[in-house]
Amino acid sequence: MNQPGPTRSGPDHATLIEAVALHRDRAAFADLFGYFGPRVKAWMLRAGCNATAAEELAQETMLAVWQKARQFDPARAGASTWIFTIARNLRVDTLRRERHPSDLMPDPAAEPEAPIQADRVLAIAQREIRIRAALTLLPPEQAEVIRKAFFEDKIHAEIEKELGIPLGTVKSRLRLAIYRLRAVLGDLT
Amino acid sequence: MIHHHPTETTLAAYATGTLPEALALVAATHIARCAACRQAVATLEATGGAVLDEVTPVALSGEALDRLLVRMDEPPRAVPPVLNPELPAPLSRVSLGRWWPVGPGVRYRPWRASGVAWGGLLLAQPGRSLPRHGHAGLELTCVLSGRFADGSGEFAPGDLSEPVTDHDQPPLVIGTQPCLCIIASEGMRLRGLLGFAQRMIGR
Repeated sequence: MNQPGPTRSGPDHATLIEAVALHRDRAAFADLFGYFGPRVKAWMLRAGCNATAAEELAQETMLAVWQKARQFDPARAGASTWIFTIARNLRVDTLRRERHPSDLMPDPAAEPEAPIQADRVLAIAQREIRIRAALTLLPPEQAEVIRKAFFEDKIHAEIEKELGIPLGTVKSRLRLAIYRLRAVLGDLT
Repeated sequence: MIHHHPTETTLAAYATGTLPEALALVAATHIARCAACRQAVATLEATGGAVLDEVTPVALSGEALDRLLVRMDEPPRAVPPVLNPELPAPLSRVSLGRWWPVGPGVRYRPWRASGVAWGGLLLAQPGRSLPRHGHAGLELTCVLSGRFADGSGEFAPGDLSEPVTDHDQPPLVIGTQPCLCIIASEGMRLRGLLGFAQRMIGR
């Protein structure tokens, strides 16, 4: 598998993105590429892209990471979360061949912010770790719906068909899962 | 103060990128004004990040990194131009058609959106009802100015209406100001005059 391995989590990736932002550090970028490129490709494949499109979108995502590294704000999102949103927006753009609202919304990361608070950065980095833990603790039927929504990118009616459960049940499981994840995360915005 | 929000499932579809474009624009307009929903979306996006960490990686092609390294001086993709500076940020770059009268005191201005949903701006004078929607699919309305009321309560600027059950009481513009909303709906067409206008406009 590609370097660095999964043990190199949250805060390290944030440091690498900052090295790209501040010093255009190509070695740091290569590390990020090695970790996230194959993951973004896997996510694209699960979301229904063919192999060519998944490869292309993974490369475009990583190019955007290089180009937008200065907009990364560790006080707003962890590294994995930030890269997920870039990948998601590119995929939506490709599907729609148009803009995505998230690109149209004012991007707070693009504006100069107040001095970064170290404890907040740490809390945001911890958030991804806590979410991963919380996902493993969800009741299986809730975890299944969350995974289908995120991994396989199913719209809710498709989940309904696939699991053979009523749409109302899909929605209530999703709602319960989201409540639980939000409870785990507390008040961080 | 915002009192009416989208459901969790709609927020989840927005955060995963599966909400059709027209509905996503209405949701984005609400979310841009609503701290609670921004927080919910942040949680969902962090879930997406956790999912990315969990997924079993699939190797990229051998030359992928080299190919990127030669593209690194490319400028980032251009942001579309602002077409409607008078509208909230999520709507400012959307391409809108002309206003169409769709009944006494009610006008409708469609936008071009891809996917299975359609939408636009709706402007209704005080005392007028907003056109009724069928409830075959997801339907979102966000107030930009003015107020309306229906069976589920009063809606002020920023509030988002996502009817989950049919109710008989049509939305009625209250107060002395006209009510400007953005609306989007999937799968079905509006009834009555607005439905007729929609067919004339082509979508």
